[in-house]
Amino acid sequence: MSRVKTAAMSSSERKAYYLNRLYMILPVISVLLLLLLWTTASLNSDFPSPVETWNRLIELFERPIKNKTIIGHTLASLTRVFLALAFNWTFGIAFGILIGWNKKCRALFTPLFNAFRAVPPLAWIPLITMWFGIGEFPKALTVIIGSIAAVVVNTQAGLSNVQQIYLDVGTMFNANVRQKLFQIAIPSALDAIFAGVRTSTSAAWMVVLAAEMLGAKSGVGFLITRGMDSMDMPLVLMSMAVIGIVGAMLAVVTQFAERLICPWTRKRSN
Amino acid sequence: MNAEKQDYKVVVKNLTKYFGDLHVLDNISFNIRKGEFLCVVGPTGCGKTTFLNLLTRIYTPTKGDLYIDGKPADPKKHNLAFVFQEPSAMPWLTVEQNLRFGLEIKKLSKKEIDERVNEIISLLGLEPFRKAYPHQLSVSTAQRIIIGRAFAMNPDLLLMDEPYGQMDIKLRFYLEDEVIRLWKKLGSTVVFITHNIEEAVYLAERILILTNKPTTIKEEVIVDLPRPRDVTSPEFVEIRKHVTEQIKWW
Ligand SMILES: Nc1ncnc2c1ncn2[C@@H]1O[C@H](COP(=O)(O)OP(=O)(O)OP(=O)(O)O)[C@@H](O)[C@H]1O
Ligand SMILES: [Mg+2]
Repeated sequence: MSRVKTAAMSSSERKAYYLNRLYMILPVISVLLLLLLWTTASLNSDFPSPVETWNRLIELFERPIKNKTIIGHTLASLTRVFLALAFNWTFGIAFGILIGWNKKCRALFTPLFNAFRAVPPLAWIPLITMWFGIGEFPKALTVIIGSIAAVVVNTQAGLSNVQQIYLDVGTMFNANVRQKLFQIAIPSALDAIFAGVRTSTSAAWMVVLAAEMLGAKSGVGFLITRGMDSMDMPLVLMSMAVIGIVGAMLAVVTQFAERLICPWTRKRSN
Repeated sequence: MNAEKQDYKVVVKNLTKYFGDLHVLDNISFNIRKGEFLCVVGPTGCGKTTFLNLLTRIYTPTKGDLYIDGKPADPKKHNLAFVFQEPSAMPWLTVEQNLRFGLEIKKLSKKEIDERVNEIISLLGLEPFRKAYPHQLSVSTAQRIIIGRAFAMNPDLLLMDEPYGQMDIKLRFYLEDEVIRLWKKLGSTVVFITHNIEEAVYLAERILILTNKPTTIKEEVIVDLPRPRDVTSPEFVEIRKHVTEQIKWW
């Protein structure tokens, strides 16, 4: 079949064709290699093998922890993430627009914001626990703190780097400040804003796990702590695999959303 | 004084522009009649774009005054359109949305916008690209968007900064005739900057030749030929040669 298809191609086309094939196969190879390495490493040690890890996942379906299977725990983590992100994408973007567009506000807030950004989100946990205890709200708050900076920084950069010529077009058509902001500056910054959305999503996913490890009754981070406390290494590894897979899926989803919302950022296809 | 101003679309009085220490425009004065088609030629970097930017208040003059319709130049008060030299189609808008942009800023009715945009799209042959984004198009097609965006405004003052520089000859000839047609139809005043002397002689009623920085007006050439002009006629060739002669010294 592929012989027939490639027969009519020139040699350089054929090369490109096989290269394309290779690019599709390489990721599969890397995953298989990882599984192989993992299996070898587990052969003569206590380290759980991929099969044991898989079995642990099945077992969790049969005997849920705290009444939740892996799906329940993943959803618990994701809920916290999306509550926090909903806040960040509203107020973080608004704040980013404010300090990106208005030079006075930028001068006013930048030093404070930079100091805030330098403090790792986990350092907030003692304060947050003292003020709000250990319910759902403090966890969402930790995630907010841990992922809002990415939104603000990218939005601000996008807004303050709007190309002058587009604003000049606005001036020429006699656009007022509001029209320049909403019809020129914000649309032209949308791809930068989306970079912030993407980064904040992956940051939120990391911070929620850390927050859950420090005290929660549900979530994938909680499963890791539980596994550690009960020396249940298959549970730990299974949770790590789930974290990786969900994180990768979030990246794909945000990328897809970006293509949908900012179709002009898609490069010319050949 | 007042009566004189009323016949002029644009009055430029002792216009001087510095960028820091860089002396660009040096005490320039001239007028543009209502409904006139003026071409401006001048060496690279002499301040042609700067002049247009002063007219639209994107820059402010160091000294001197600019009047449009007898009032200090202000895009808020005048219906002007500007075809920028650099690509300035909004990358986040499709061709059609780009053409609507200025009309929507001016809050025209949807019906009016639809009509004008459709007319421009067929005029400039943009129908196949209606839903495309500028980055998917060739430079000359993207430039047609900018020209269309300006034409759609039905401006009474149309400023064009080397609009056809990127285009192949066929499209340029076509668009040169189009701008003439639009100018006649709307009776607008056109300021057209170009490097192409033949283009200037083909289009202009009057050509302004500028000097090197600090820039003054070297000469005004009146082109009083019937239209459509024949680029091979002796009169045409003579004017073209004269202008070429004048700018040899750049
Ligand atoms: N915003 C600015 N700040 C500083 N210098 C500027 C600015 N805009 C233009 N200049 C300078 O002013 C001079 C005139 O520039 P301008 O773009 O008006 O020339 P031009 O006649 O349009 O040239 P070209 O034929 O290349 O389009 C140039 O030397 C340029 O470097
Ligand atoms: Mg220029």
